[in-house]
Amino acid sequence: MLQKLRENQNIQGLILILPTLLFMVGLLIIPLILTTVVSFGRRSADGGVIYTFTLDNYARLFGYSTTCTNGAASCFDPLYVDITVRSFWLALETTVLVILLAYPLAYFIARSTPKRRTTFLFMVLVPLWTNFVIRVYAWMMILRTQGVLNGLLGAFAGLFHIPFTPFDMLYTPGAVLVGMVYEFLPFMILPIYTSLEKIDNSLYEAAADLGANPLRTIFRVTLPLSMPGVVAGTILVFIPVMGTFIVSDILGGQKVMLVGNLIQRQFLDARDPTFGSAASLILMVMTLIVTYFYTRKFGFGEEIIAV
Amino acid sequence: MKQPLFWKLLITVVILSSLLASCGGAPTAAPAVQNPTTAPAAVEATTAPAAVEATTAPTSAPAVEQFTTSSGFVCPQPNPRMDVTSKEFNLFVWTEYIPTEWKECFEKVYGITINHDEYSSNEEMYAKISSGSTSYDLIQPTDYIVSLMIRKGLLQKLDNSKLTILKNMDPKYMNQPFDPGNIYTIPYEGGLDAIIYNSEKVKTPPTSYADLWNPEYAGKIVLLDDSRVVIGMTLLTLGFDVNTKDSAQLDQAKAKLAKLIPGVKLFDSNSPKTALIAGDADLGIVWTGEAYTAQQENPAFKFVYPTEGAVIWQDNYAIPANAPHLDAAYAWINYTMQGDLFYLMLRDFPYLNPDLAALDYAKANAPDLYNPFNESPITNPPAEAVSAAHRIDDVGDATTLYDKLWTEIKGSN
Repeated sequence: MLQKLRENQNIQGLILILPTLLFMVGLLIIPLILTTVVSFGRRSADGGVIYTFTLDNYARLFGYSTTCTNGAASCFDPLYVDITVRSFWLALETTVLVILLAYPLAYFIARSTPKRRTTFLFMVLVPLWTNFVIRVYAWMMILRTQGVLNGLLGAFAGLFHIPFTPFDMLYTPGAVLVGMVYEFLPFMILPIYTSLEKIDNSLYEAAADLGANPLRTIFRVTLPLSMPGVVAGTILVFIPVMGTFIVSDILGGQKVMLVGNLIQRQFLDARDPTFGSAASLILMVMTLIVTYFYTRKFGFGEEIIAV
Repeated sequence: MKQPLFWKLLITVVILSSLLASCGGAPTAAPAVQNPTTAPAAVEATTAPAAVEATTAPTSAPAVEQFTTSSGFVCPQPNPRMDVTSKEFNLFVWTEYIPTEWKECFEKVYGITINHDEYSSNEEMYAKISSGSTSYDLIQPTDYIVSLMIRKGLLQKLDNSKLTILKNMDPKYMNQPFDPGNIYTIPYEGGLDAIIYNSEKVKTPPTSYADLWNPEYAGKIVLLDDSRVVIGMTLLTLGFDVNTKDSAQLDQAKAKLAKLIPGVKLFDSNSPKTALIAGDADLGIVWTGEAYTAQQENPAFKFVYPTEGAVIWQDNYAIPANAPHLDAAYAWINYTMQGDLFYLMLRDFPYLNPDLAALDYAKANAPDLYNPFNESPITNPPAEAVSAAHRIDDVGDATTLYDKLWTEIKGSN
């Protein structure tokens, strides 16, 4: 028996993935099937599910509307398409900003002495010890009209006798973007750091020996070799931002509606689980498509495994 | 050659799972958002006037064990002490609505563990209860959702013989149209959704709901994140009934509301007073108790009953049909609605208070709480404001129209 196990790699593999497999089937595959079934149902008057097969929910998501203001029987209502596009743009903006912020920092950490490296990485991770929601609430205090940031700016303007009216920052789309960038920054720093750290120092020396100036070294050596980290980080940031709703709820004043908020609202406030299910499936498919094309272009990013 | 494909598949599954975690986590993560907002309540609790507590101290019989909360509040003895065998009690209540002393005292006095969950809209509570997968012992539905829950068989009839506090209830709050004869519910607290404004910042004081559309207020408004209140208020400005089932009227309300939303700074049902006090918003519609607290903190806040007649509401205690710990639910109602515990609501969550015993107790033992409460037009509204008020009812099948309108109006900006 044991002998057999030692020889058969397939069985070994199966045993190793078995716990995860069970977990995935129970908490991912089965719920996914349920979600799919519900998404084809119809909402009952009191917010229950009538199990039938209708594509109404999907049609509604893509803008098909039967309640038109111009009196026509059906028309295009861009509401949900707009929400999706808005979420997509926000996820894109967040990812780009996070890369721009994370890359130099990761580079700095990777190029410092090993002892300092540990300290810096520790500092990147420390905020993650606090609860996600509490960190978002902290941003509320910072961005308020009479908050920390306006207070500092006001004091600064006061020094130079510049008249200062506090900025309205909280409860705006900009506040949501700031919150997203802050929340997801560590998930970009770590994979980029991992790939930068792996670059052999002799490659830099070789580049210098062959006459490359520092700028050229960055573009020809550092950047290409660290791309797997950027790709992995992008996947780790882009996908959760597409689906999250807490940041936009708290910093957007329940007013900035993203796909995540739309889905959450369908299950709670609007009591329409069928529409919510359809929306979450569409979100999932969309994200998969984006990820698919992205990874086809840039590869899968080995660093995702390291993280 | 097969190896890379296997890894890709595995990674795809991992990505899928993280995606699902971010969207599928919705129902469980939602309460977590609200938890931090209960923090101010705890702060208020510690700043309670010492004089009040001193007077409540020497009331117990000598033989019975005396409990004190961590804030130094001496727990009154339950009167009567109920027979409770349950070791757990699942409480599902509004955010910012339960004084911390109640929980601590109830746990200590009855030797029971409370599992406390919170919601910030009736719809959210209803969605969770009607899913059937919850096992809550006590909930606080508002009037219109009570009728719906009765209709759907989600509530159980109350055993009046076990409710010793019934005699304390102000008849004004009993026998309401949503539950005639109080078969399923007893009143908890109520309020009127009138307009609050900061008189130092708002130049033209609003007098009606319709005034909220005044461009002067754009970007300064806070509203409750409550579909029926906000849509109802809009219907009133158009001269329609707050409970209309007419889709044409609702369409008009939607068009009108669409003009207001861009000027709304935020929607908040958890702690809307925070935005007012912090200066992020200057006027709006907030819960009665929040308005009272804001005014106590800054007298510049004024409260106006709109000329259209305000929206009136009443929260109630009710027991879900599948509640597993009935004995604890009745014990909790009787204990916390005793005058010497329920008067804490005047301190923490000052809404319209139906518990006459609590008002009497406060009048005698905590005049510094009772007097401002009794004199304020917010917590003691003029009779004409109450008689002019509109109560939100269950609209049956038209609920779909309201829910859809709300999703669309909120999503369009």
